[in-house]
Amino acid sequence: MKTIVISRFSAVFFAAALFLTGGMAVSASAETAAENYSLYCVQCHGTAGTGKGINAPFLAVAPRNHSDAKAMGELSDANVALAIKEGGSAVGKSTQMPSWKHNLTDAEITDIVAHLRKMCKCTGAAK
Amino acid sequence: MIKRGITVFALALLLAVPAAFAADGGAIVKKCGSCHKLTGPAVKTIAEVKARKAPDLFYAGSKFNKDWLVGFLQNPTVIRPAGTVYANHIKTTGDTDTVAPAPKCESKLSAGDAAAAADYLMTLKDAKMKTGVAKVGEFSKAKAKMLIIKTEACNGCHSIEGNGGLSCPTWEGIGKRLNPDWVYSFVQDPQYWDPKVWMGKRELDDASMQLIVNYIASQK
Repeated sequence: MKTIVISRFSAVFFAAALFLTGGMAVSASAETAAENYSLYCVQCHGTAGTGKGINAPFLAVAPRNHSDAKAMGELSDANVALAIKEGGSAVGKSTQMPSWKHNLTDAEITDIVAHLRKMCKCTGAAK
Repeated sequence: MIKRGITVFALALLLAVPAAFAADGGAIVKKCGSCHKLTGPAVKTIAEVKARKAPDLFYAGSKFNKDWLVGFLQNPTVIRPAGTVYANHIKTTGDTDTVAPAPKCESKLSAGDAAAAADYLMTLKDAKMKTGVAKVGEFSKAKAKMLIIKTEACNGCHSIEGNGGLSCPTWEGIGKRLNPDWVYSFVQDPQYWDPKVWMGKRELDDASMQLIVNYIASQK
């Protein structure tokens, strides 16, 4: 009887554990803005976000300086999100900025926009 | 009768000896597993990508041209100027990033082992990749370069004809290295092969894809 009770308890415990770890696995697969920035953006915009990434010397148009409060402050959050999602050409800027919509979810792009606002210490212009 | 028996035995021995001493490609490649991923699927998180020491090889037979593999395995060269994962090799001074020289694979195989390893690697294929899609032949290099440099700016991340970015593999000799069908598939959907790869997916029509594939195939 004791064995059966323990087995039942174990089954419930493991079912709960599976449910919980399953839930954690889902949230773990969504990347933080800092992680996404470090892999997708840093190659051109640089670790400091100043537009001086390792690819920058080879680009015809200098990558945007994300730490420039004045220039970044002139852009709305929607404009920045559109540039990330659809690429530079969608906002009248360089085609060297590609579309990242197949790499990032809409939620991740929103998080990156918030991350950029921290980097520039600025708020976005009204739409 | 005895003489004939000896002759047959000697012939059998002659045939058996090379087979016995032939290199085991699978065993050689298994050693590469300390750095390369030899079985799929590809990793799915950035943390796992950053832990990658060397490119995935579990679809090597779809990706590479065998002749190139045989040469490379005997004398590895640097293909990714900023290392397998550029983000791991950045040096920041002030507000500017540079990269440390990329480490290259130190394993050099003999000609026989390289051939055996290449034979084995060519068996590691992706069953879903379409073949016969790339149509390599005559093409307009001017149109291709317009697309590659001006429109898609591939040189932002790849070094093309000796000039371009550092975060992705060089295109120097890329035509010898890569199977054109794999190039077609990778450019069309990089995330199919590597979910977190730092290359955006292009939405290009077949004519544009063929221009890119042909240009790449011509870079030897």
